[in-house]
Amino acid sequence: MKRKPPAVSILQHGLLSLMCVIALFPLYWMLNSSFKNESDIFKSDFLPPNPILSNYSYAFEQMPIFRMMFNSFGVSILMTALQLFTGLLAAYALVRWRFRGQTLIFTLLSLTWLIPFQSIMIPNYVLVNDMGMNETLMGIVLPFAVSTFAILSLYQSFQSFPKVLIEAACIDGQSDFGILTRLILPNIKSSVASLGIILFINGWNEYLWPMLITKKMENAPLQIGLKLFVNSDSNMWGSLMAATTVSCLPILLIYLLLRRQIVDSFVRFGIK
Amino acid sequence: MSQAIENAYAPPLAGKPPVALDRPRTRSKALRMLKPWLYLLPALVLLGIFMYRPLLYTFYLAFHKWSMVPGTEPLYVGFDNFSRLLANKSFADSIGNTVFYTALLLPFSIVIPLALAAVTHHMEGRMKNVYRALFFIPMILAPVSVSAIWRWLFHPSGGLVNTALMKLGLIETPIAYFSDPSFAKWIILLITGWKMIGFSTIMFSAALTGINSEYYEAASQDGAGSMRQFWNITVPLMSPMIIFMLTMSILFSSQWTFAYIDILTTGGPYGTSTNVYYEMYKFAFSNLNAGFSSAASLLFFVVFGVISLALNSLSRRFSFYDN
Repeated sequence: MKRKPPAVSILQHGLLSLMCVIALFPLYWMLNSSFKNESDIFKSDFLPPNPILSNYSYAFEQMPIFRMMFNSFGVSILMTALQLFTGLLAAYALVRWRFRGQTLIFTLLSLTWLIPFQSIMIPNYVLVNDMGMNETLMGIVLPFAVSTFAILSLYQSFQSFPKVLIEAACIDGQSDFGILTRLILPNIKSSVASLGIILFINGWNEYLWPMLITKKMENAPLQIGLKLFVNSDSNMWGSLMAATTVSCLPILLIYLLLRRQIVDSFVRFGIK
Repeated sequence: MSQAIENAYAPPLAGKPPVALDRPRTRSKALRMLKPWLYLLPALVLLGIFMYRPLLYTFYLAFHKWSMVPGTEPLYVGFDNFSRLLANKSFADSIGNTVFYTALLLPFSIVIPLALAAVTHHMEGRMKNVYRALFFIPMILAPVSVSAIWRWLFHPSGGLVNTALMKLGLIETPIAYFSDPSFAKWIILLITGWKMIGFSTIMFSAALTGINSEYYEAASQDGAGSMRQFWNITVPLMSPMIIFMLTMSILFSSQWTFAYIDILTTGGPYGTSTNVYYEMYKFAFSNLNAGFSSAASLLFFVVFGVISLALNSLSRRFSFYDN
């Protein structure tokens, strides 16, 4: 590669820095506004002139934030765990054996890509209602207990595992379940972990279904509670931004800690 | 990543069946036949209950009238829902908006990210990863949080956007963005696009790292400029990923905009920012007309099915793989 002339390089960095500003500025403005008092909130100072914390205390008084945070984590962790569990078993079956109906299974799995949630929401809503699972975490999680995206991604990871080793273990008389848990899983741990991260973020950001199922704040994930707060039409912009900041924190902290893995996992698996 | 879709449609590679050690033949054979199904059982049962049964039920409801009230039965009405749907003005408008969102999201999901990925690709050192990591942040934020922030930025009286535009002397009076028909859908598009850019950039960057740099060196020696290199090397070699992202963008953009429409404009003003999925949602949960909503679902299931088949054959025809 030839060295680029400095002018081009400066132009490139300038362009990219501008993109970063566009990506991050809204977050900065959220944080900035959350510390402003009522008289400063409508002025466009880039730092709060008289920083206050009362916006945060007001938000915590108005909403059961810790409770909703717990709901959000509960929903995301349960969804991720169930999707990984059902996905691992299914993907293993597809890799390990050759059997009649395999093509049909793949067709069924791929077809689900085309089913938007909006076209199955009514029957699912009626079903969960009939089961009496409205306003429960299980009611939010159940329709998302299996993810074809997870099955197909895990199937790909399993494909990369040498078949010879599986056959060798089989001849040694290892049980099928043992091959999955003791031989394959330890070797594709990192893929499973990165898929888990994506599934977690997807669960955390789920919107339509939790909104249909939960109407009360104390049963709702943080997202839905925040929406009720946004729509309550109060002019409390400072505390709304405080609440929003709190709602972004968990994901941002996770991102800070696992940045590399998160980016890698999205690259590896894409997104639904 | 395009492999995911490839694999999804191509039958898997088959391994050799396991060697059976002298067990009684018939029973072990029956057991072997059963085993894969045992492992598939949890996933298939759940898919059946929460994906395929609802889908079939939706198709059934499309030909019925039902208000979802417990204890009442759906009433058969034949094609009535469809004929009324096609005559429904708000639905017709929502189709136009859906096309608007789908088409204008493409610059955000394909064009800009491709340029950004190409620019960061030749960068040396740690800055490359820093940029990419920062671009990515909007993608991981939840839709409600994002909506709250943008609603504040575009606030009609004290929002930063209005204040800035007035200070710059570009506007005389503040604009009420979310209740102005000429702005609402553009804002929704902008927010959805803002979230997409970083994600697509990362995907394209990943595809770029797989391109052999010898091509570029050979091209520079032949005197090809960087634009020429981009068009003749980068784009063809990236084509599988480009088509994959194109498919994603077209199939999912209506679902990506859904949350912002619901939180920020509820489809208004006068239905100028709604899309087909949001109309389905309103038919079902505002008007309590399950049949109407289901008829729209069935219609769009077919439309998107045809689109994805077309894109799939396109990707098989035009994808240029480097062997």
